[in-house]
Amino acid sequence: MEKEPLNIIITGVGGQGNVLLSHLVGKVLVRGGFHATIGETYGASQRGGAVMSHLRVSRKMQYGPLIGEGHADVIVGLEPLETLRVIAQYGNPDVAVITNSRPVFPQAVSSGGARYPTRDEVAATLKGLSNRSWVVDATDIALELGPPILANIVMMGTLVGSGLLPLGAEPFEAELRESLPAERLAMNLEAFRRGMAEVA
Amino acid sequence: MSPEIKGSLQLRADVIDRGLCALCGACSGICPFLVAYRGRIVALDDCAVEQGRCYAFCPRVATDLDAASDAAFGAPFDPSPIGRTTEVLITRAAREEVRSKAQYGGTVSALVAFAIERGFIDSAVLTQSDASLLPAGVLVRSAGDVLCRARSNYVAAPTLAAFNREARREEVRRIGVVATPCQALALAKMRAWSTRDRRDWKVSATAYRDVEKLSLVVGLFCTWALDFEGFTRFLAGKTPLDRISKFDIPPPPASVFQAFSDSTSVSIPLDEVRRFIRPSCNVCLDMTAEFADLSVGAAEGIEGWNTLIVRSERGREIIDAARAAGVIETGALPDESLSHLKGASLGKRRRALANIRQITGSDDDLLYLELGAETRGRLLAE
Amino acid sequence: MANIATYEKGSTQLLMGNEAIARGALEAGIGFATAYPGNPSSEIIGSLAEVAKDAGIYVEWSINEKVALEAAAAAAFAGVRSIVAMKHNGLNVVLDYLMGLALTGTRAGIVLVTCDDPGALSSTEEEDSRMVAKWACLPLLEPGTFQEEKDMTRWAYELSEELKSVVLIRGVTRTSHARGDVEVGERIPPLRQAKFEPSNPLEFTSMPAPFKHLVANQKMDKARDLFESSPFNWYQGPDKPDLLIVTSGSGWFYSLEAVKALDLEKSVGILKLGTTWPLPEKLVRQHLSKAEEVLVVEEIDPFLEGNLKELVGEDPSAVGPVKFYGKRSGHIPIAGEINPDIVTAALARILDIEHRPVQPQYSQKALALTAQFTHGRMVGFCAGCPHRATFWSIKNAIKLDGRGGFVSGDIGCYSMAVGPAGYWQIKTMQAMGSGTGMACGFGRLAEFGLTQSVIAVCGDSTFYHATIPAIISGIYNRANFTLLVLDNSATAMTGFQPHPGTGRSATGEQAPVVDIPTLCRALGVRVEETDPFDLAGTTDKLLDLMREEGGVRVLVVKRECALVRARREKPAYQMRIDEERCLGESCGCSRTCSRVFQCPALMWDAQRGVAAIDDVLCAGCGVCADICPAGAIIRETA
Repeated sequence: MEKEPLNIIITGVGGQGNVLLSHLVGKVLVRGGFHATIGETYGASQRGGAVMSHLRVSRKMQYGPLIGEGHADVIVGLEPLETLRVIAQYGNPDVAVITNSRPVFPQAVSSGGARYPTRDEVAATLKGLSNRSWVVDATDIALELGPPILANIVMMGTLVGSGLLPLGAEPFEAELRESLPAERLAMNLEAFRRGMAEVA
Repeated sequence: MSPEIKGSLQLRADVIDRGLCALCGACSGICPFLVAYRGRIVALDDCAVEQGRCYAFCPRVATDLDAASDAAFGAPFDPSPIGRTTEVLITRAAREEVRSKAQYGGTVSALVAFAIERGFIDSAVLTQSDASLLPAGVLVRSAGDVLCRARSNYVAAPTLAAFNREARREEVRRIGVVATPCQALALAKMRAWSTRDRRDWKVSATAYRDVEKLSLVVGLFCTWALDFEGFTRFLAGKTPLDRISKFDIPPPPASVFQAFSDSTSVSIPLDEVRRFIRPSCNVCLDMTAEFADLSVGAAEGIEGWNTLIVRSERGREIIDAARAAGVIETGALPDESLSHLKGASLGKRRRALANIRQITGSDDDLLYLELGAETRGRLLAE
Repeated sequence: MANIATYEKGSTQLLMGNEAIARGALEAGIGFATAYPGNPSSEIIGSLAEVAKDAGIYVEWSINEKVALEAAAAAAFAGVRSIVAMKHNGLNVVLDYLMGLALTGTRAGIVLVTCDDPGALSSTEEEDSRMVAKWACLPLLEPGTFQEEKDMTRWAYELSEELKSVVLIRGVTRTSHARGDVEVGERIPPLRQAKFEPSNPLEFTSMPAPFKHLVANQKMDKARDLFESSPFNWYQGPDKPDLLIVTSGSGWFYSLEAVKALDLEKSVGILKLGTTWPLPEKLVRQHLSKAEEVLVVEEIDPFLEGNLKELVGEDPSAVGPVKFYGKRSGHIPIAGEINPDIVTAALARILDIEHRPVQPQYSQKALALTAQFTHGRMVGFCAGCPHRATFWSIKNAIKLDGRGGFVSGDIGCYSMAVGPAGYWQIKTMQAMGSGTGMACGFGRLAEFGLTQSVIAVCGDSTFYHATIPAIISGIYNRANFTLLVLDNSATAMTGFQPHPGTGRSATGEQAPVVDIPTLCRALGVRVEETDPFDLAGTTDKLLDLMREEGGVRVLVVKRECALVRARREKPAYQMRIDEERCLGESCGCSRTCSRVFQCPALMWDAQRGVAAIDDVLCAGCGVCADICPAGAIIRETA
């Protein structure tokens, strides 16, 4: 792993399984012998507000739970608007960003006032502000396989498949096998692999 | 120039918050935002529509009386002392049974029941009070249901809220309304609105259709109406409200307000009751419901009979048929009584105009009335 | 699956700070754990509750923090090591007992963990717990790393028994809720030899108070000595730094990274303190004497900063001239949460270093591209939340009542009714139970001319926590108000913990139910019950209660939290819009559903001019069908 520490931000809206995703990724990295720190915001933000997880990954030492402005290396967005928000604050020309395409409309948009960016606008903006970027239809894939919240596992697949993490697919699949009940395992593994395929 | 129609926020500012609301109910029962509740019009939320029916129907916003008269009668506003008149009669219900339940001659009950029976209308919006004297509009669809709502109610009732609500029903097509003067004016404004250029309005087609179901307006003479909360609280201290069977205000020189219960009655000095007159009544120029098809009131000095004013062809149609069917008895109104009626009506007009001038401080600003100087002059002539 | 009780000794686990604290307590052999839920502390006892069986310990959600501390202290008096956890508001609630406990001391170790919420991310106040340590004469520990959260907690029991004093551990959101890798030690089971035997008649009292106050101070002297050699205090940096950072808690990581970011390892030293009250004075003076400029980095109040200045003031010649920077100088903001950028900026400003975290062209470009889209997200009630329906009815009832009524609010998910989510209905908001407490005051103002209807709200958990005494006070003093108890069968905002109304204990067993309406009726007041999804019925009942003159009236508004329900059951209804009937922006509707009612699942399709349902967000509660004036929202059984 080149960057020390590797700064990853996972962002989304409350209820999308953001915390679960960051926890999974962190666990696998710790198992793999890395130091990992995750900072998140709970509580009121869960009621429809934005949720952000900061992951710090290092071979050498433990880092704090907050990433400084402009210092994200990887941004994974479960929701496009949140991805835009995060990249504006934490991005830099070298950042890599992967976003889900499915919007969760804020009240300002759903009650008819404000405009939500189109998929093309999101893609173009992210491209202009990053070194590498992907827009993935994670929720659509999830809905093919099961409930919409499966999108977070799809996105885990994209993160791993992109090669941005210092670990490959195997330890992540092992973690899924270990932590999931049998009846949900197949669906989750498939979601993970589909995610990987999206960025291959 | 047609007065500008605005939205509910302006209605609240221009009328309700200024204490001018007549509680006719024309603005309520249309949408979730304005509701009539226990003697008040309550705004539950802020509507964002810029032009609304509530404002268009309200008889206390800028009102073009010619347009209203045109919608009701097909003719410009007639400023005669008792308004547009084709005939003035005394009348009473032919059946004693009807008269015994009524305030004076039972004419309104008999006419409305007859109109339903004969199919002139298929339903009627009347006013009914509960045991606490809270009045509300109610839709009746059979002649029999008319008779039990025959009592005079001196408490202001938002009857037109019921019209707005019930007119939406598929199964009613021709609705009659028994209306006070302010309500009759509001109904005329509704009719005027439904013939406006429809493209300007953000309103559904059914809204026009519903107003067009209005088929007959029977007006009631009215000098004033009382505030529900204040008056009932006062009266409850004098006599149990749920035992009251009838109210009456005997003619001058008496100056009392009577409430009859079972075999007893209480007599209250009229001045004490006047404290509860709604402020909107003080700026009302209409005593005889000048925008109705037929207007009915007491026949002063002629016990057991009503005074009836025929105003429109529709009114003519109904009264002629009722008379021919033997449902209504008619007679001539003595000249002296007619003079007296005109005098009383002019008296209300003068008081109202004086009150309006006191509020606005200007002879040119008549609050809600759009009147030319000539019409205004004729409005006060004898 | 392994859990905090079963992790193998020597293994490395990714633990939440609160879990690390819980594990540390288990490694100290605690037997008794109590708390009342509160962000960011809930997971401490929450995670212990999950493993109570595996660990052979007792865990409870007490009705409020005061009882939690009292119960935990009882266990400690009887020889059972105990832990109690709370958020800063909880510390306020326990203060009366804690003061007494500080003078009383303890037998077995007892640790009180208090977690603050800098920036009030999920609180109604921003408050620094640490002052209590100084105020009450108690030792205070602040973990700065995840490993420390565990190790400090374990060690705290030795300290507690050495001093015979309750020990305070202070966390913040960024230590408690963050996760980091931790090497776990050995868990030991609790001793089961509980016995309560005072060695003298006053041993377990705070009396005689002046004497015990003296003793408490002497304990602080002893602690001070112990802290001089604590491994939780360390220094990193040059022998004679140009600038010394003194920091504690979450400030450690931020300071470390700030120094790195500015390449100042050779000139800036960091003294990280884990024992922050009493201060290890020799250690501190030693480092202060080596620097002339000191930046203090800490969360919320200048507690550490003030104590350092006090120390210097006691003997200025011992350290020589020192200039302090920190919250008092404005280099670190006096309010709000700190973060690495703040510390970096402070350092750069003090040392006059040019520092730009983000390249300006990138910043400008990012702003230009995203500003038009990054609309804020309103925090509000979930789709299907019974509180939305309740406050809709409250709003309408107050308007219909026409006397300028208002709502005195309380703490819970429903607190969001101070804002648009609850139609701005709640007008006061301070502490648990204070909605009803204030109504006791408002409800006595008729004699001073108040004609407005007084309404109070509280949740079910709040009811048990603090509202009952306020109701009794209102009854006794004839206060005139209507109380709505919003019973959604959960302590929802903090993570759906059970309480005396839910029939389940912290460890999942069946528990006796203390029924709210029954209790209120037993108090002798008029009680009505309603389902908030019955909008008309709820409004009518509330109006009826509001119009009743005199005394306390209670309306219990009962319906399960939407999120709790969703875990168990599929949505009750399938909702859709009949676009033909939808009036939308027209007179007669004015977008009642998406603009006024504002459930997040109700959307407005501006292009087509009709309402729409977001199927992903919709909880299928069906309430919106009743607020549409055109009958265009169709509710079908799912």
